[in-house]
Amino acid sequence: MASASAAAAAPSKPEVLTLFRSLLRTAREFCDYNVREYVRRRTIDGFRHNKDLADPSAISAAFSDGKSQLEVAKRQAVVYSLYAPEVKSVMELKR
Amino acid sequence: MASVSAASVAFRALSKPPLKSNETSRLKIVSLGWRKNGFPSLRSSRLHVSCAAKPETVDKVCEIVRKQLALPAEADLTPESKFSAIGADSLDTVEIVMALEEEFGISVEEESSQNITTVQEAADLIEKLVQKKPEA
Repeated sequence: MASASAAAAAPSKPEVLTLFRSLLRTAREFCDYNVREYVRRRTIDGFRHNKDLADPSAISAAFSDGKSQLEVAKRQAVVYSLYAPEVKSVMELKR
Repeated sequence: MASVSAASVAFRALSKPPLKSNETSRLKIVSLGWRKNGFPSLRSSRLHVSCAAKPETVDKVCEIVRKQLALPAEADLTPESKFSAIGADSLDTVEIVMALEEEFGISVEEESSQNITTVQEAADLIEKLVQKKPEA
């Protein structure tokens, strides 16, 4: 674990954007409207909040945090799909 | 003449050289496109539009960009405007590409999305993917 975090030097900009995109794509897979919107909101807020980080160790810490959250989100998307609601949320009907 | 009126409508959205808008005006007559994307199978079997994207596509892209960046209504948004010039950073660009994916039901790859810098490029990429989709 320690060697993994030491090996992960500051991620490049494309890597960060790829992580952002993966999180947003994973958000789309949730069947529950509320969780889907929350994941979108949280990733956008989180990435914007850390947009101006300059310290490489802080950047890589935030990046690995984001990666672990991505894993959590992927697992939860699968779990939620097992208990998908039968009725869609009213917010989705407006479209 | 019908083609002239279609071209004058097209000029509102597109500020492209005349020869390209001729292609799109021809396209409009064939497809009667008033709805969203119409029937892509008809278009791709008759005309292979390689460069110009349809005005409706460009309009939709512009609308999504406006909503994402919260641009005021009078802000000028032409198809040639670069995302960075209108105040969008890379995170905004990713969000815009995701919104476009959802709107048009396509899936943009990583490398393609990183090369999108202007509204017109986004519209062209969408056109290409939408045409490829029914054939897949």
